[in-house]
Amino acid sequence: MRKSLDFLLATITAFCALVAVALLVGLVAVIAQRGGPAVNWGFLTEQIRLVGAAGGIFWNLVGTLILLASALVVCLPLSVGLALVERVWLQREGSRRLLRTLLYTLNGVPSIVFGLFGFVVFVQWCGWGKSWLSGGLVLALMMIPTVTVSLIERLKAVPAKYVEAAAGLGLNRAQIVWAVLLPQAWGGVVTGSLLGLARAAGEVAPIMFTATIFAGATLPKGIKESPVLSLPYHIFILAQDSFDPSVGSKLWGAALVLLALVLFLSVIALPSRLKLHEEANV
Amino acid sequence: MTRALSWFFSLVALGAVALLVGVFVWQSLPVWHHEGWGYVTGTKWFFRQKEFGTLPMIYSTVIVGLIALVLAAPLGFGAAIFTAEYLPRRARLAVKVLIELLAGVPSVVYGLLGILLLRDWIYNLFEKFEPLSGDTLLTAGVLLAVMILPTIVTLSDDALRGVSSAQRRAARGLGLTHAETVLSIAIPQAKRGLGAALLLALGRALGETIAVFLVVGRQDNNMPEHIFSLRAWLEAGQTITSKLGGSETNIAYGDPVHWGAMIGLALLLLIMTGTVTLLGTGFGKRSDA
Repeated sequence: MRKSLDFLLATITAFCALVAVALLVGLVAVIAQRGGPAVNWGFLTEQIRLVGAAGGIFWNLVGTLILLASALVVCLPLSVGLALVERVWLQREGSRRLLRTLLYTLNGVPSIVFGLFGFVVFVQWCGWGKSWLSGGLVLALMMIPTVTVSLIERLKAVPAKYVEAAAGLGLNRAQIVWAVLLPQAWGGVVTGSLLGLARAAGEVAPIMFTATIFAGATLPKGIKESPVLSLPYHIFILAQDSFDPSVGSKLWGAALVLLALVLFLSVIALPSRLKLHEEANV
Repeated sequence: MTRALSWFFSLVALGAVALLVGVFVWQSLPVWHHEGWGYVTGTKWFFRQKEFGTLPMIYSTVIVGLIALVLAAPLGFGAAIFTAEYLPRRARLAVKVLIELLAGVPSVVYGLLGILLLRDWIYNLFEKFEPLSGDTLLTAGVLLAVMILPTIVTLSDDALRGVSSAQRRAARGLGLTHAETVLSIAIPQAKRGLGAALLLALGRALGETIAVFLVVGRQDNNMPEHIFSLRAWLEAGQTITSKLGGSETNIAYGDPVHWGAMIGLALLLLIMTGTVTLLGTGFGKRSDA
């Protein structure tokens, strides 16, 4: 009886883990198999024609990269500032905990809420209309918790003796931040940014009302009324009337490119995350 | 200088968050004046008649989230028990990495798979109940279950690994089998962390927009007569997020009451996900202590 329970639990849980992994493998396989034939050099370098049934996704890729770049530029100083405030400048544990709780809560805010916020503030109040900058700002706000928490974790892992040695040499707090803490913990910013970008790259909800249109945009020439095309929105629109078979293969192709972009960003973030895992387990 | 800059950037970020909450509270005021409590208890939403009852959407949101949770929880816990309690460290990391990659797949990709595969599967599977189409609350729930599975697995795995191995060794030394050690030592000790995993996953499910939007059918005012009637699961519905993601958001701006009703939905969603997330983080934290 006890022996069979032992066997049963191991089998059942192994099966569960297998299903979870199989879901990922199956999902990637389906997308790759259906999208693979559509992806070639022309697909990546031509613009869309015939409402997505022909041509490629060049400007969608460019638009997504513009959104990601602007989000990153805005997010970095805010996140580094927040992490330093939490680790270095706030003295009371209570206020630190409050700030961390706020970050976790912000991380749980649904992406559509960010989208509506951007719609009200940037599109309407600032009068920008749909603009790449509104999208960048909204995505930046969404990325803040990921980048900040990742940097905080790394700052915690900086050995206390480094900081003590620097203080013993007569460095003040600001000098310690620049000479010891940030160089030692910079990996946290990189990892956090990659994960944040991976999430931001695939989001539709924050940019659908603020930044992106389906067709007819190239490089933005200013801020007002300067939307971009984007990869996830392209898929989102095509998925809603996916009956034309030629659209179908292009649609899966676009999904494959998006999936590859997102997985690429997550995978290059892996080594440093694994390192942190191993250190934590020692 | 460094200190001033850190504070400046932090205050900009915190200011943006405060503005976010402020905007949603303030912009939704007109609908509260217009509808009062009817806004959350009313079952009819007809914006041309200025009727804004959100109960069917709250119902759909909760049902879809619960279906996802009920499907994903056993599978997720099982997988986490296997990775945390049975696999050697390297294999555990490898599986965990794969499952976390699954978490990074964009929701529009899940939506695409839902629209082109899952929808038909659900329709064929439940054909004898004569659903009108494959766009149902159940479809959205099943799709969400796959989407929140990685969250449950990875957080539960962390919770189980948080139980000290000395306790496991002691249990084995007392003659308990591996399974008994897991069931009577590891799981009870990790209880809070496991609960937190469920809550955080639920938070993600409630707020998910794009994938749900594509498969839920977006049928307004679909409120079953009995809250627990299962038939309603095989009908199209409208969740809070699918409503917000639709074109009505563009139409509504300019009419304060209608816009207030839309923004009010976002506020309700913010309250629901915020509560669940806060409970989840609070829950998890105390288990570490």
